[in-house]
Amino acid sequence: MKLSHESIEINAGLMIVLTLIAISIGGLVEIVPLYYIKDTIEKVDGVRPYTPLEQRGRDIYIREGCYTCHSQMIRPFRDEHMRYGHYSLAAESKYDHPFQWGSKRTGPDLGRVGRKYSNAWHTQHLNNPRDVVPESIMPNYPWLLRNELDYADVADRMRALKVVGVPYSETEEEYLANVDQFGATMAEQFDINRAELSLLAQAQSEDWDGDRSRLTEMDALVAYLQVLGTMVDFTQYDEGYFAEFR
Amino acid sequence: MMQWLSNMENTKPLALVIFFVVFVGILLYVFANKKRSKRLESYKNIPFLEDDEAGEQKDKDSRNG
Amino acid sequence: MAHSAAAATTQYNYDIIKKFALMALLWGLLGMSAGTYIAAELAFPFLNFDIAEITFGRLRPVHTTLVIFGFGGSALFATSYYVVQRTCQARLASDWMANLTFWGWQLSVLIGIIGYVNGITEGKEYAEFPWYVDLLITVTWVLYLLVFVMTLMRRSQPHIYVANWFYLAFILATAILHVFRNLSVPVGLFNTTSYSLYSGVQDAMVQWWYGHNAVGFFLTAAFLGMMYYFVPKQAGRPIYSYRLSIIHFWALSFMYMWVGGHHLHWTALPDWASSLAAAFSIMLLLPSWGGMINGIMTLSGAWEKLRTDPIMLFLITALSFYGMSTFEGPMMSLKSVNALSHYTDWTVGHVHSGALGWVAMISFGSFYHLIPRLWETRLYSVKLVYVHFWLATIGIVLYIASMWVSGIGQGLMLRAFDDYGNLAYTFIESVVFMHWPLVVRMIGGMFFVSGVVVMAVNVTMTIRNAKLEQAALEAKIAAKLAKAGA
Repeated sequence: MKLSHESIEINAGLMIVLTLIAISIGGLVEIVPLYYIKDTIEKVDGVRPYTPLEQRGRDIYIREGCYTCHSQMIRPFRDEHMRYGHYSLAAESKYDHPFQWGSKRTGPDLGRVGRKYSNAWHTQHLNNPRDVVPESIMPNYPWLLRNELDYADVADRMRALKVVGVPYSETEEEYLANVDQFGATMAEQFDINRAELSLLAQAQSEDWDGDRSRLTEMDALVAYLQVLGTMVDFTQYDEGYFAEFR
Repeated sequence: MMQWLSNMENTKPLALVIFFVVFVGILLYVFANKKRSKRLESYKNIPFLEDDEAGEQKDKDSRNG
Repeated sequence: MAHSAAAATTQYNYDIIKKFALMALLWGLLGMSAGTYIAAELAFPFLNFDIAEITFGRLRPVHTTLVIFGFGGSALFATSYYVVQRTCQARLASDWMANLTFWGWQLSVLIGIIGYVNGITEGKEYAEFPWYVDLLITVTWVLYLLVFVMTLMRRSQPHIYVANWFYLAFILATAILHVFRNLSVPVGLFNTTSYSLYSGVQDAMVQWWYGHNAVGFFLTAAFLGMMYYFVPKQAGRPIYSYRLSIIHFWALSFMYMWVGGHHLHWTALPDWASSLAAAFSIMLLLPSWGGMINGIMTLSGAWEKLRTDPIMLFLITALSFYGMSTFEGPMMSLKSVNALSHYTDWTVGHVHSGALGWVAMISFGSFYHLIPRLWETRLYSVKLVYVHFWLATIGIVLYIASMWVSGIGQGLMLRAFDDYGNLAYTFIESVVFMHWPLVVRMIGGMFFVSGVVVMAVNVTMTIRNAKLEQAALEAKIAAKLAKAGA
């Protein structure tokens, strides 16, 4: 058969193949290299997976659709630097499945909100934003304080995350590798076999929601918010270093 | 060969040239040949060939003829 | 006339088209109402009522899912099944498979939105469906491809009409996008959560490759297929240039897939990727406008139809909004403009000039053409079509204009410095500034929804009349038969 446009027009199969080729090139060229160009993700110390409590907090962040109003991606502009801090690095979300960079700032960016406000502020703000920011248009989330945190499946969740590439440990070998990379305290948090104990321990380690006697969804969400953007110590690097990766 | 291809500074213009040639090829194919043009343009009437719209069909014939 | 119409109903499968068309209207009405409600929540936050199920964060995916997949998707199923049958002059290949696509699709949308209000979401914009719905959609989509291609193969003439190319590209692209965006690992067989296979920067690129091409193929290419059939049919004259439509098709199919990265300007995505996306975004202006000109010029020599035919008004206005938003889009993909517009309501306004102006308007116009033909009657009221048109147009203008004010205003405020080099405004000051634009946007939404209500009334009455006419006709025939018998 002669390959001409006529044969395409009259041959559904050929048409399908050529259309598939036309629509595949763009995606392949832009996505695949992100996996093998080594400069895509900055080499930087401190970035670690989420602890079981933080991960449960992140699940709640996603459940409530926070990403529909808040970004977690600070851009390299002077105003954003002054308002939010150092621009976000690709490395800082490398354990985020899925990413939560967001696309809209109805509220401010949360990429570096961690430790900017106290736990009490976050609890009060989430419970009723207008208590602390009178003009806020954010909904109240009173049920976060009411709902007990469900952590029965936290080990299963970590196992699923492990499959997609987060270095949680199940074997002794993996655990020791984590000790090497993240230190003994963190490695213990990343051990799936101790997931529930670690979660409870972290919940008690700080007064997250103002009431240590109960483990609520607020505890987990505040723990997650307080770690955002705090993993990298930017005083260790000079400004030119990260520009090499852009 | 692979060495040459893996250099982005070579592949970028190469890709540009390939895509441009394909694009010009399609343009030439579609517009250059008179007879082909006429055939292609005849297909625009397909939506009006529906058998239960005999009236419209007649109307179109009188317009084209 | 009565004879040939009866022939048409046996020749073609209209049942499935009717079902999809009515569901499109229902989902459209619900989805646009949900959109107006969340717009109101932003203007008046007390409307969240401390009820988890109706907070903005949970209702927003309900809105996007209902309008994109419920309304848009059902409209595309309906029109593609209509166009492929009419232009191939062949009956749909398989009635039961077509029926399965109907139930599969409606169930997916329904399970999806019930999940969202209860907090079951994957947290990926426009791909929030949980993993089990993703599987259901995949099966439905394979059936859709099969029905469509098998019908194409039954066609009675060698050439495949260009509208079907666009529908085919839409089906193929959506399949690829859906599968690769939703690769994830479920926590358990009975757990609603699953975690994306990709993380961080790769997940972001996959997301916007998916997200922008959902716009490109779901909300553009497919609706162009609709345009290439319904505009010529309603105008009563063939498309302006068939050769231009061939160029349009290949250029659009090839270029769209490159542009998703422009959603990630200035982020941690490497510059080469977002620059490449910006370059293709600008080039994409050419095929987009080529298609728009092709559609509008179809009316050349018959412009008076715009004065006499409100359906034509819908279709041509849709093309004009298509032209406007495909100009605004490339402009916003310039890095300097994007630095201001990204993260603000300008983006929201841009999306809606495309979604309301192009997608919804072309669908309304096509439906007004389609529905009387499906039920073999005439529209109940042409005047109500005019009413709908003006309600929709006023709504869109209010929406876009208020979002420009809100988006550009917030963008400028957030980057303003005082004489000492400090930030001139706090974030919350920009939120206060946005209040009135958000109120106007909500009113724009109300106008648009009222238009859809008018349409629903018109369609309901049309179908009712069709049934009455049918009953009267049957009674007449029965009477005649009785007389002949006596």
